[in-house]
Amino acid sequence: MAIVLFIALPVIAIALKLLEGPGETWQHLVNNLLVDYIGNSFFLIFACSVLVLILGVGSAWLVARFEFPLRKQLEWLLILPLAIPSYIVAYAYAGVFDYGGSLELILRGLNLEFIRIDIMNKFGLAFVLSISLFPYVYVSSRAFFLNQAGNLLEASTMLGVGEFKSFFRLMLPLARPAIIAGLILVLMEVLNDYGAAQYFGVNTFTTGIFRAWFSLEEPETAVYLSALLIFIVFALILFEKWQRKHIQVTGNKASGRTHRKLGTKPMQWLKFILVLIPVMLGFFIPVGQLMYWAFLTAEKVFDFDFILLSLQSFGIALVTSMVTVLFATLLIYFAKWSSINGIKSISRLGILGYAIPGAVVAIGIMIPTLAFDKWFINTMDSVFGVKTGFLFNGTLVALVYAYCVRFLAVAYNPIESTALKVSNSIPDSSKMLGVGNFKTFFKIEFPLIKTGILSAVILVFIDVLKELPLTLILKPFHINTLAVKAFEYASDEMVMEAAIPSLFIIFTATIPVIFLNRLLIKE
Amino acid sequence: MKKTLIGLLALTLMFSCKNAEDKNENAENEKQELNVYTHRHYESDQDLFKQFEEETGIKVNVINASADELIQKMRMEGEQSPADVLITVDAGRLERAKSSDLLQAVSSDILEETIPSHLKDADNYWFGLTKRARVIAYAKDRVDENELSTYEDLASDKWNDKLLIRSSGNIYNQSLMASIIVHNGEEEAKKWAEAVVENMARAPKGNDRDQVKAVVAGEGDLAVVNTYYIGKLLNSEDPEEVKAGESIELFFPNQEGRGTHINVSGAGVAKHAPNKENAVKFIEFLISEEAQKIFAHSNYEYPVNEDVAPATLLQEWGEFKEDTLNLSTLGENNKKAVMLFDEAGWK
Repeated sequence: MAIVLFIALPVIAIALKLLEGPGETWQHLVNNLLVDYIGNSFFLIFACSVLVLILGVGSAWLVARFEFPLRKQLEWLLILPLAIPSYIVAYAYAGVFDYGGSLELILRGLNLEFIRIDIMNKFGLAFVLSISLFPYVYVSSRAFFLNQAGNLLEASTMLGVGEFKSFFRLMLPLARPAIIAGLILVLMEVLNDYGAAQYFGVNTFTTGIFRAWFSLEEPETAVYLSALLIFIVFALILFEKWQRKHIQVTGNKASGRTHRKLGTKPMQWLKFILVLIPVMLGFFIPVGQLMYWAFLTAEKVFDFDFILLSLQSFGIALVTSMVTVLFATLLIYFAKWSSINGIKSISRLGILGYAIPGAVVAIGIMIPTLAFDKWFINTMDSVFGVKTGFLFNGTLVALVYAYCVRFLAVAYNPIESTALKVSNSIPDSSKMLGVGNFKTFFKIEFPLIKTGILSAVILVFIDVLKELPLTLILKPFHINTLAVKAFEYASDEMVMEAAIPSLFIIFTATIPVIFLNRLLIKE
Repeated sequence: MKKTLIGLLALTLMFSCKNAEDKNENAENEKQELNVYTHRHYESDQDLFKQFEEETGIKVNVINASADELIQKMRMEGEQSPADVLITVDAGRLERAKSSDLLQAVSSDILEETIPSHLKDADNYWFGLTKRARVIAYAKDRVDENELSTYEDLASDKWNDKLLIRSSGNIYNQSLMASIIVHNGEEEAKKWAEAVVENMARAPKGNDRDQVKAVVAGEGDLAVVNTYYIGKLLNSEDPEEVKAGESIELFFPNQEGRGTHINVSGAGVAKHAPNKENAVKFIEFLISEEAQKIFAHSNYEYPVNEDVAPATLLQEWGEFKEDTLNLSTLGENNKKAVMLFDEAGWK
């Protein structure tokens, strides 16, 4: 309960602000902008869902079920788009399709006519977001296809059911919880995106929140918009819960390794090409563009300070991911052990932080921690006559706390989905034999959900590396991160200079991604 | 699990104590520190801060974020805020900080004498550091310079489907709109915005550089941009950007009348600044000739210190008449400007 409170505190602080009512400009917003915000946000939810499902589930199925050239390499390359912040992908693609951009240069080199493709609109935004976020779905559905589906597939093949049919009729429905868990993460990120939407000139809820807050100077109205956004996300989560009720995947209903099919040579190459497409679009093209820019600006950007900065970024992300995963695990298991009804639904509240824009989370963190800090300073001063500084604000503690709130959902999902697969009968029998909750957890459940936990650590690590608005507001003096550095350049219209810090984020995130892949395959 | 929890608690405490220690040390060496909240994050600024450290022995701590976020942060921190100096990239935000009671008046002969009065707050709550003009960049081959005249003229039918300008979320557009509200009144300003929206060659998107590239690509004939972006295009590492910069010409609007709209990067001393003296010293340093030279030459902005010449490139563009409207009014009309933009359908 304390953990839920701890994590939900910022959400509650914002909810309390709701009671104060919307600001004067609310009516103005409803009259002029709200339709646009709702329309565009729903368009993005829809378009990204379709694209992400095709890219994520499709590629997961291909690599889990079939053998083809370079499959092993492609398996981890498919996760790498996650390593690039989506606003950087947006800048990179604008750079590719721009006037004087890479595409034009290449076409000119080939003596071909240049056809200008305008990517800076809502369709382009849906494309950019999907291409950089589909790995969430890929990771969760591939884990399912690899580890859970073997026996069933064998049975269906033995019964003579065709490949397509067994995929659509058998695998998809079974994998649905895993796929949807990934999809929800994608949609939350989509709703949360600020940088790419703003650059492409698409009005969404999140750009609206920033506008209401900063341009119209009305935090109250921004909070109202956030509440609407939270409502949408909550609806998505409930929808997923409802889905799960229909299909219970627990215990050993589905299990066993999937054996890969070989197929004919041409078919193998076709599959290779199909899987290569998302890798090219999501990783090699943007990274290629960034490398070109990095090459142009290396002398200016790269120095010793830059290496220190990278180390700092790395350290913060590592500590944060471990703390966040600890909280997520506690949350899941306390909810599981608790006999109080309703605590499970409350524990879901804890992951709402992911739905709130980073800037709003930051403010949500500052309200309670500042109140505490001020109280602490005053008490220390009046009671003991000691002058103290802030305990939380402007320190790493507040920053890590905020990351925790924001990314709990990222940790929660993979752990929960592995935890759900552990049938209750095993820990139950252990408990019946008189072993306590904690001991049972460490002896029996922990080894079973280890993969989930490690995936969670890695996903949070990457997200923290990329995180921007919250870091900008809460980061202490002296500390900087690669994402902040990249943003500083980009926001001053020095997009090319942003390439090197972006590439560093990508390469720092690549190592754990490869590790994550090993882990998922081993299990 | 319990052990991990205890370990975590210990770690938290360690971090906190360390921080408290830092603060205590700060208290002892109060004169040696300066905390700067800044929206500017150019390399040139880093160099300036370093130079200030070397000259005075005062350690400069920097927090970078957008002005809006910094102001929000200062509001919440209240009396305990560690901020000494707030630096923004436009006057409107400084005015907002002033009206939110986050800044304090400073009396400094150096600042008052060096900075022209329309580039600083009337009550000395904030001071301009560098200025830039919002001008029209046009395609040499498709637009005759004689056709161009004022910002108001951008609403004319002859530019139908030819105008490129970024979104209304951008502060430079908001400030331009605010100046039009002050000069022409709300009603006229709204009509102007509606007509400009009609004239747009495409929905607003991208940044100022993107508008210039779109002109060069032939999507439209003219774009509204800040001067220093042209400087950056011309000095870009990407040869294609240099080409883009070379294919357009600049026009300074409203030369016959009130002058071209300008804006400043500026600084103010925080109301609860723990190191007020250092803060004033710092701002004085930033408008000194040596610092202004660095500002002017690395970022293609115009210096506020009139003893310092602009960069050669800027001199080539020639002198121009600037709108001497006191910049405080931009901040006062900012919200109105944003609402009129929304009503006019300027995305």
